[in-house]
Amino acid sequence: MKNTYLQISQMITGALVAVLLAIHITVQQWFVVLGLLGIKVADPTTWGSMMERAHQGSWVGIYIALLAFGLFHALNGFRNILLEINLSALAIRILTGFIIAFGVIFLILGTYAPIALFSSYR
Amino acid sequence: MNNDAVKKITFRVQRFDPEKDRKPHFQEFTVPVKRGTTVMEGLLYIKENLDSSLAFRTSCRMGVCGSCGMLINEYPHLACHTQVEEFHSDKLTLKPLPNMAIIKDLVPKLDTLFEHHKSVKPYIIREDKEEMEKPTAGYLQKPQQLDEYLQFTYCIKCGLCIAACPTSASDKAFLGPQALGQAYRYCADSRDEGQDFRYAIVEKDHAVWNCHFAAACSEACPKGVDPALGIQLLRKGVAAKALGIKKTAAPATLATPPALAKPKIDVPEFTVEPK
Ligand code: HEM
Ligand code: SF4
Ligand code: FES
Repeated sequence: MKNTYLQISQMITGALVAVLLAIHITVQQWFVVLGLLGIKVADPTTWGSMMERAHQGSWVGIYIALLAFGLFHALNGFRNILLEINLSALAIRILTGFIIAFGVIFLILGTYAPIALFSSYR
Repeated sequence: MNNDAVKKITFRVQRFDPEKDRKPHFQEFTVPVKRGTTVMEGLLYIKENLDSSLAFRTSCRMGVCGSCGMLINEYPHLACHTQVEEFHSDKLTLKPLPNMAIIKDLVPKLDTLFEHHKSVKPYIIREDKEEMEKPTAGYLQKPQQLDEYLQFTYCIKCGLCIAACPTSASDKAFLGPQALGQAYRYCADSRDEGQDFRYAIVEKDHAVWNCHFAAACSEACPKGVDPALGIQLLRKGVAAKALGIKKTAAPATLATPPALAKPKIDVPEFTVEPK
């Protein structure tokens, strides 16, 4: 059932990425849209605004979740494509090892930044 | 075109003789066609009058045996089920089905199709081995239960779906729409108890999860089968099973043998002794 669990995860993470990415993009851009409608709101891309979000647990959670789900989805999808070339069992294991290592390294690097910011002095 | 008017059409046919040729080449033939002439009739004309060495498969000439699949103007068709007129062109290019090896000219090697088909156990599997070996009666099935899989029984194993499938083109080990559609056909049959065997087979690499839903198979199928739908329904079943939420109905029961069945209405006794 390994392939089935991986594919179900691919679909679920795809849906989660869609939701989280929508939140992320909307927040980054809505001031432009609202500005066009004549409504003035604070620019979310300023340093101050970003730092403010960086100190809110919910935002830190959203960014880390987007990173984790996005990494899983993209790397598992990439692995799916590569598995369609007929690779040997050994090559598949090496490839899977590389992909997991890549994912874990980028997850650690990517999580470190928001956590370090979150715990930094305001 | 009136019924009797004869028109000359060029058949540009891919030739390949493994004993002589290193790679395929094209040869052109002029074929007289009239209204209703099929591509198969054109090929038979060539074989009878122009070049008897031309190789192609045919048997039923009525779209039921699945022998005559080929690429006609770059799209998979049954040659016997396709009229020359449909193409509105003076030239037809004929090639063997792609995604398969070529035996000769327009004859593809269908071994992989049949191996993949067999691998999904395309027959009713029952836990009662005794009954499977020596059946005593048929199984009961409601018309609604038949509808669950009926369209998939129309598959004639022609391989057009495989020829159209982009995944079969890029992944030679892919089970393919024909076999996956048939895996669904038997899993959806209320008389079957072999779902777990088939799920284990189609769950492997190069199988049900490798379909990317191009649905080219369903478009190409000459029998109106929708293998892409079968694959999606098979996925639904495999996923539900993996998540432990699959509903399974009890398998169909044996029909009472006719000798033991009571007639619903009073049937008069025979008045004449049967000879
Ligand atoms: C809007 C958000 C997204 C949704 C709803 C989504 C959904 C999906 C689904 C359902 C699949 C499985 C397709 C199949 O089985 O053929 C898939 C595959 C894939 N996704 Fe996404 N995805 C999204 C965003 C992304 C992003 C942002 C990336 C890359 C950074 C990505 C990369 C991939 C890759 C590489 C595959 C494998 C391709 C394949 O199997 O055909 N996806 N996605
Ligand atoms: S599903 Fe249709 S196209 Fe595919 S082998 Fe069966 S009849 Fe031919
Ligand atoms: S010859 Fe039988 S399907 Fe065409």
